[in-house]
Amino acid sequence: MPSGERLDRVRGAFAGLAAGDAAGWPAARHRSTLLAGWSRRLHRELDAFAEEHQVTTLPVPFALNQPVAPLAVGPSDDAEWLAWTALTIREDRAEAFGRLAGRDDLRARISVWAALDNLAAGKRPPASGHDNPHHFDDAAAVRAVAFGAAGLDPREDACVTNAEDGVLGAVAMARAVAALVDGAPMADAVEAALGALPAGTAIGHAAREALAAARAAGSPFAAVPALDAAVLDHVYSYGVAAAQTVPIALALADAAVASTGGTASAEAFGAGVSAAACLAAVADSAPALTGALLGCAAGHDALPAAWRERVRTLAGCCLPELAGTDLLDIAGRLA
Amino acid sequence: MISVRDRARGCLLGLAAGDALGAPAENLTPEEIAARWGVLTEIERGGTDDTEYTIFAATVLLRHGHALTSEDVARAWREEIVARLDGPMRGAGFSELGTVEALRRGLEPPLTGRWHAHGWSDGLAMRAAPYGIFAAGDPDEAARLAETDGRVSHTGEGILGGRAVAAAVAVAMTGAPPGEVTEAALRAVPEDSWTARNLRAALDVAARTPRSLLGRALHDTVVVAHYPWTDLAPEAVALAFAAYAAGGGEVEASVVTAANLGRDADTTAAVAGALAGAGRGEAAVPARWAERIGPVAGRCLPVVAGRDVRDVADEIVKGI
Repeated sequence: MPSGERLDRVRGAFAGLAAGDAAGWPAARHRSTLLAGWSRRLHRELDAFAEEHQVTTLPVPFALNQPVAPLAVGPSDDAEWLAWTALTIREDRAEAFGRLAGRDDLRARISVWAALDNLAAGKRPPASGHDNPHHFDDAAAVRAVAFGAAGLDPREDACVTNAEDGVLGAVAMARAVAALVDGAPMADAVEAALGALPAGTAIGHAAREALAAARAAGSPFAAVPALDAAVLDHVYSYGVAAAQTVPIALALADAAVASTGGTASAEAFGAGVSAAACLAAVADSAPALTGALLGCAAGHDALPAAWRERVRTLAGCCLPELAGTDLLDIAGRLA
Repeated sequence: MISVRDRARGCLLGLAAGDALGAPAENLTPEEIAARWGVLTEIERGGTDDTEYTIFAATVLLRHGHALTSEDVARAWREEIVARLDGPMRGAGFSELGTVEALRRGLEPPLTGRWHAHGWSDGLAMRAAPYGIFAAGDPDEAARLAETDGRVSHTGEGILGGRAVAAAVAVAMTGAPPGEVTEAALRAVPEDSWTARNLRAALDVAARTPRSLLGRALHDTVVVAHYPWTDLAPEAVALAFAAYAAGGGEVEASVVTAANLGRDADTTAAVAGALAGAGRGEAAVPARWAERIGPVAGRCLPVVAGRDVRDVADEIVKGI
């Protein structure tokens, strides 16, 4: 059994990830899948309306004649996939994913869908993660927070849905979280993560560039334009590419702690997650990964109480069976 | 007897004809193509990036020959593509603009091909034919040269797609039958790769599926359902080789089959046309297609404007 401090840090990683997940603007989009399909059809029609009428701001997403709770600030895809990972972490990973293959009620990243299709077609890992157009995304890096918290190697899990930078991102996140759960300072955790990211890879190059940019900027918020320039080329909206989100998370977690007195705290957590949410192109998961690192370092009980309460109950917007589930309870069971 | 020059011209004319024929069918499904054309057999408009990037690759290759390095290719991109860009980049895919941005950032290969995540795109496969012409009969060297080029803009499966096309063209240039040509593509890539798995699966489907069911069967075999684009090299290369095999290596049959499969139809038909044209020579490219292939406009790459694939083919042969 873990010590109280250790348990607090594991729960901090989960709550921190969920808070970051909730803070990014895409969360409301993901959570709006809980509303009726026709309301999202109207979103799409309003997109066309906006183009035709040259209007900037439209009333989407909205709840019409439906519960409004999904559109309130709350956890979405990353918190749910982390919870699913923690609940299945002792199982063979291909078998755990195999049970999802063929289901039509899931919401997942392109890498995960492609992997589920590969598994259904008889492809085993690592081909299921390699023969995959989005092998580079951070689906496995999000799940790796659970592996890091449990002190387990994330690779077998990562290879089901990802390859190359997608797997490296998972290893880096798991190493950082494992170090933080053990009580290491953030700088050591970031070094441990960097050790998993060869400089000749996109993710390794971006991580070093991002860390340098954020350190030079002095604070997470000041680092936002520099990170935008250092990591994002804006050719294509990858959104969740591990080579972008993991480096940004490492750099903002590092800068947040360094700029708030050198110790992890609620202040550092807020500074890092807020800055990540300002990077719109990666706001789907960079705040979540940043929140996992800073939440783990600070520990659950140090996080802002309002955020802790707001993100502990899952919505079921990606994995419907998780609706109403207590994320903290799942985090605690990891130990 | 078909001369090397005839084969080189057949290869690049086949490529340009496939590019032009397939262009209006890009991103359509086989069913949509059937509804619109019945069978798409006539070139409606000019070629696209496939032909222009092929000419660019050949031009850089001819400067350096077997001594070509990735640094040579990166310099050519910087001086002849990046430096000439004063507005939008036209007619290219994500991997090309991603590479341009990586070069502007000051990165060097192979990081330029890794920095953007479209390293698996079919952008190298579409321009790899000249390496096969230049290294006719030597598929290993053709694949090595394609990989040398590809490290600037691609990584992983994108490089494998280029290796497969270059090696196959090198063997097609000897007049080998389609079975040997497709075998050369498979030998140029690791057995444990997406490209190899898709090639084997697509060739198997092509060998045992009636023509009327081929399009749907190939889609079900190699198209990734939950991905919104058609630019994956393992998919495009598999479709192109399956069309070439189903067409028996004949230029018109191979190119028409590829174009009517849809997806990245200009690129798949260009690759099928390069393979078949190298095997059958210039005279086997339908005259009604060849007369539509003139000097390129430079719409995608201004630096190649005015160049004719026939001249490029002749220059490569002189450089052998």
